[in-house]
Amino acid sequence: MSTVLDKSPKELRALGEARHLSLNDAEWAAVQAHFKSIKREPTLAEVETIAQTWSEHCKHKTFTSPIRYTEGKKTRTIKNLFQETIVAATAAVKKPWCLSVFEDNAGVVAFGKKWALAFKAETHNHPSALEPYGGAETGVGGVVRDVLGCGLGAKPVLNTDVFCFGRPDYAGPLPEGAHHPARTLRGVVAGVRDYGNRMGIPTAGGGIWFDDDYRLNPLVFVGTVGILPQWAVSKKVTPGDLIVAVGGRTGRDGLHGATFSSSNLGADAPASAVQIGHAINEKRVLDALLRARDRKLYASVTDCGAGGFSSAIGELGAECGARVRLEDAKLKASDLDSWEIWLSESQERMVLAVPPKNLKALEAVFAAEGCETSVIGEFTRDGRLLVTHHDNTVVDLDMKFLHNGLPRVERTAIWNGPATAKPAGGTEKKLAVALREAIGNLNVCSREWVIRQYDHEVQGGTVIKPLQGVRHDGPGDACVIWPHAATGDMDDFTGFTVAHGLNPDYGRIDPYWMAMACIDEALRNLTCVGGDPSRAALLDNFCWASPEDPKQLGALIRAAEGCRDAAKGFSAPFISGKDSLYNQSKDEKGRELPIPGTLLISAIAPVPDVRKAVTMDFKGPGNSLYLIGRTNDELGGSLYHRVLGRTGGEPPKVQPASALDGFKSLHAAINRSMVLSAHDLSDGGLAVAAAEMGFTGEFGCLLDLDEMPRDPRIFSNETLLFSESPSRILVEVAPEKESAFLRHFGKGAKSAAVRRVGQTTANPILKVLGLDGSSIMEEPLRELKDAWQKTLPAVLG
Amino acid sequence: MSVRVQPSNTHLVEIRLRPEHADAEGAAALSLLRAQGLTSMIGARVARLYEIKGPISANQVLQATKDLLCDAVTQEHRVVAPAPAPMNGANFWRVEVWLKPTVTDPVGETVRDAIADMSLPRPESVRCALVYLLVGRANKASLEKAVSKTLANPLIHRAVVSEAHP
Repeated sequence: MSTVLDKSPKELRALGEARHLSLNDAEWAAVQAHFKSIKREPTLAEVETIAQTWSEHCKHKTFTSPIRYTEGKKTRTIKNLFQETIVAATAAVKKPWCLSVFEDNAGVVAFGKKWALAFKAETHNHPSALEPYGGAETGVGGVVRDVLGCGLGAKPVLNTDVFCFGRPDYAGPLPEGAHHPARTLRGVVAGVRDYGNRMGIPTAGGGIWFDDDYRLNPLVFVGTVGILPQWAVSKKVTPGDLIVAVGGRTGRDGLHGATFSSSNLGADAPASAVQIGHAINEKRVLDALLRARDRKLYASVTDCGAGGFSSAIGELGAECGARVRLEDAKLKASDLDSWEIWLSESQERMVLAVPPKNLKALEAVFAAEGCETSVIGEFTRDGRLLVTHHDNTVVDLDMKFLHNGLPRVERTAIWNGPATAKPAGGTEKKLAVALREAIGNLNVCSREWVIRQYDHEVQGGTVIKPLQGVRHDGPGDACVIWPHAATGDMDDFTGFTVAHGLNPDYGRIDPYWMAMACIDEALRNLTCVGGDPSRAALLDNFCWASPEDPKQLGALIRAAEGCRDAAKGFSAPFISGKDSLYNQSKDEKGRELPIPGTLLISAIAPVPDVRKAVTMDFKGPGNSLYLIGRTNDELGGSLYHRVLGRTGGEPPKVQPASALDGFKSLHAAINRSMVLSAHDLSDGGLAVAAAEMGFTGEFGCLLDLDEMPRDPRIFSNETLLFSESPSRILVEVAPEKESAFLRHFGKGAKSAAVRRVGQTTANPILKVLGLDGSSIMEEPLRELKDAWQKTLPAVLG
Repeated sequence: MSVRVQPSNTHLVEIRLRPEHADAEGAAALSLLRAQGLTSMIGARVARLYEIKGPISANQVLQATKDLLCDAVTQEHRVVAPAPAPMNGANFWRVEVWLKPTVTDPVGETVRDAIADMSLPRPESVRCALVYLLVGRANKASLEKAVSKTLANPLIHRAVVSEAHP
């Protein structure tokens, strides 16, 4: 590399663009100042190491740098958005069962007295946009390694996947080189399928959101839950420990992944950032690593993710120092440059800190699994990162500069308040027509085409499956996993559930309420199947466009503050999370197309007894239907408005205190076996939820809208049927349990509104009585199910 | 199954479903190509192609093919000419989709290790391709364009389109 110290900012920008370094002017200036102070030029590998370490992907600069934020007429400075929202909420709720938060590769919560659950959700958006299959499968591989590299290693017991795509029937133009959304969808699903299935991890939770503004920047969220003994939650590197690389060999693949994901996606994206994963290699690493963990052969572990050895060893040795000899790394090809070995993001690699006395035993464990190991250095106590290659010094950096030298640049953010326009536009439709369109809408319709490709049964612990009901094809709220295969304890019926919340349409009106609604949705989903909402832990995954746009950054702050307030209100801590920014690209006319601000909330909670978990399908005729939660006129951003083509309106507004009362009471009722089925009301409101419960169980129902707990100012049947007021759950109760159910709710749910709104019927028809007592809808469930099932296969051809 | 012997101890092994079995992958590929405007395409079958390089004889490759790569119940076994024969505008096409040499081929690596596990000589390398055997009228340029939008991603794949015997 040519010199750096004498270059102008313009020349440095050009150098950065040519090498995909994603360093800004202030960061280049800090690099120049540091090397001037030590009176030498940086090497190429040093600049690459700094760029990787300081990338948005690794340092989350937007969330941790100061922001001058203007909301309306008030301006204030946010010193550290992450600390002031996500971390602050977790600190405020103080949950002793949170064993590791925001420190490790995944968040960890206690699972009983002996075990712990590690949970992480990642995005792999930019790679999946370029190569959907490879991007998605390496995304799965990466998040599985996050869990493997959490504590001293957790055994993966569940994979989740949530996607945002353009509509698969999108017929408009696309810029050169962009994949059609249908192709992206097929490739991404295949990638998640192949990696998870081949590793023997059930993929049993997730969702898909379609919106054409994702057509150039698809979002691919992949998550993994792992289980580990509580003694293995903490890890520590000691100077003198050997640096041992295990798993795949290092090649020229995956270069610049970290810096690539820290910039806008364009036609000049490096092909080397995309890889094809090797699930069998990762399975070998997994098996060997867990055996070595149980024999306590290593002291610390992390995965080689973005940035490769540079990131993994840089992080492990951040507190002490590290000495690395690249000539000892096992390579795929002999012609790799030093910096390429150091920065390569070749998949399926982990780095261990191994006390020298354990090396032989560790090598034997990995050899038995056909897994290669190589000692590439040792951790030191000099606070320096020293990397050599055949006696040439490649990197010689002060760890303090590397990890703390990043200059913080103040950004500007603006939020001008939510769009408060009254509902306007669109075309009125008959209720039955609107319901059929709503239930066949791409964001509601059956995902069976996707789900059936995944092995959700492997490990034999999927108690509540993604598809439910008498024909195993209805839409479940969440999965329930009984991890007996990992714990080996067939007498302990404690399980766990994972659920999600995502709705970017609410965010178009106000990201604050979107965040609140996402957390509410995730919690009510896991409550519906038997999860304990008072033991729920959360992950946040923000996907946004460029934070250099003040309006985008303002919206991001609103969302983060919504997360803070909801987490405090629900007393649910965040334990881990991730952000993916710069999700915008130039469209076919050269205009920037940002994604809608998107927040995925993933929630995990224990299920005290998996034998009492419930599904969402009606179980029989003559049972009472109770609606938990109050209905308000909250159709802003709703599916009903989308169906009508209407804009404006109030988005759903969460009241965490009363919502949590309802969730806790329902949880207790499920534990006392008072509930036959439960289903949350989300997109499409009561109408869609009741239809789904009916056609999944093949029983009809009669609903009386006048009985709904509601805002007394509502005089519209449409609003009551389709409002998406949060925190509501429709519950089926057998007649003989009804009085106990009501007594229970009378005692426990102080502020939650609960009313009997109807009953199930033998005739498979959804019948609704309006506010005036007349029949306003009588729809055969078979036809509604057809509409729900045919959409995705039809658009995919 | 077909085995093509290449120079320098390189073997090409092709595995395909027997014709009496429905080929879901082929049907999906046909649907995708037709959606790209190639409505004259009327048939597609999918095969796997393995390029095995190294100190391993044709007989040993055949053994690995029979015991490791080919399911004798559902897949067929025949020998074809070393290269596709031009058909001069006839209606049969062969599309080979290979991972570019710079892209890791995990299936190839696994096959290489599995051959060694059979106590056969360890190949230097194994690379895999998907082969689409297409029937229908098309011109090469439009087929190449459709392939690049459906069956191959030019970023990581090298697609070879040729007219060929079925």
